[in-house]
Amino acid sequence: MNDVAVFLAHALALEEEAADRYSELADTMAVHHNDDVAALFRRMASFSRMHADAVRGRAANVELPHFKPWEYQWDGPEGAETGPGDRTHYLMTPYHCLQFALTNERRGRDFYDGVAKSTTDDEVRRLAEQMVAEESEHVLVLEQWLGQTPKPPADWDADPDPPVVND
Amino acid sequence: MTAQAQTLTAKDFKSDIKPVWCPGCGDFSVLSAVTKALAELQLRPEKVAVVSGIGCSSRIPAYTNVYGFHGVHGRALATATGLKLARPDMTVVVTGGDGDGFSIGGNHFLHACRRNVDMTYIVMDNEVYGMTKGQASPTTDPDWCNSKLTPEGPGVTKLRPLNLALAAGANFVGRGFSGDPNEVARLIAEGIQHPGFSFIQVLSPCVTFRSEQRGWKDIVRKDTLKPRHTMAEAMQVLAEDDGFNTGILFAGDRPPFQPGQKAVTELAAIERRFAS
Repeated sequence: MNDVAVFLAHALALEEEAADRYSELADTMAVHHNDDVAALFRRMASFSRMHADAVRGRAANVELPHFKPWEYQWDGPEGAETGPGDRTHYLMTPYHCLQFALTNERRGRDFYDGVAKSTTDDEVRRLAEQMVAEESEHVLVLEQWLGQTPKPPADWDADPDPPVVND
Repeated sequence: MTAQAQTLTAKDFKSDIKPVWCPGCGDFSVLSAVTKALAELQLRPEKVAVVSGIGCSSRIPAYTNVYGFHGVHGRALATATGLKLARPDMTVVVTGGDGDGFSIGGNHFLHACRRNVDMTYIVMDNEVYGMTKGQASPTTDPDWCNSKLTPEGPGVTKLRPLNLALAAGANFVGRGFSGDPNEVARLIAEGIQHPGFSFIQVLSPCVTFRSEQRGWKDIVRKDTLKPRHTMAEAMQVLAEDDGFNTGILFAGDRPPFQPGQKAVTELAAIERRFAS
């Protein structure tokens, strides 16, 4: 990635996509009456929106190109901080939610790190290194948060009224 | 990549109703892909209709901010065909599941492919009836024995939707995976733009009743299907297909079926002929 506008378009999409996924998961958890996790996913969504605003601020004087969703150069199928929905469960706990977010932040940091190492453009490298530093901070905060959060009991997914009733 | 900003975004195509799907359901990704595709094509919401039948995936019309019709089990294609013929100016997207589309609606599926009306049919295939708590569907493997209704497995050869669509005459045939929603959005956008009947099978795991389908992400192959333009070539590809290749299999050139807007004969003349 050797163009500042392309880089910033990716940075913005990365945060916006992540925010959308967190919001979607928050809604889903609310539908399934898992209110603690719904609230936590909403907080994650608001953090991602805050970071998206910060990227917008950086891009204020740059005309960002429009990419079709399938044209972004992600390492995986979705934005680097977009958590895969199939890693969630309707009975997941705040601990799981933080683990999920931590994995996403680490992936975001690695994405920027990859850009910083591979780009031939000095300005893109400088921006990517800034993002690596920011994402590393987010990782650290989440690690500390996770350390203060009670681990779920072994039977966290036990449901006295399970959806799987084949009778 | 373009320099122009989009006027409509995917959010403009989502309604305020929150999906009741299980967390982790592949259908979330398909909903996202549908809205992204509509936004990329910059279609006006009032010029789009999403029609469905019955089942978890058939809830999609409620979650989109376009015209919607949540119809009768298996009859989405019949409704959609009528809509498109009456309103050719509308973009018609049909959504549903494998049970709705290939069992209850199997006959409609065949004839929709054959008729080749210009619309796009997205089937979220999880190889199970999820809404009724996990029974074998037409695409279930014969040895899947996790339902008390089929404790030894359904024992019936599974249906191969792409083969069927191709043989019946669909003009555009593709397969995507919900774990790659951006690629599914591309397939949907291509399907909508391609004239005639477009069929897109989306492998969409049911994490509740087929939790082993979470493993699909490790076996699905991205963009291994490349558009063939003759049925013979596409059939040859399918002969080697294990159901986990994705991409566009077939893009044909059959003209879509669209009757003229004027009657070809007077109703009175038909009545006279009938009476004589």
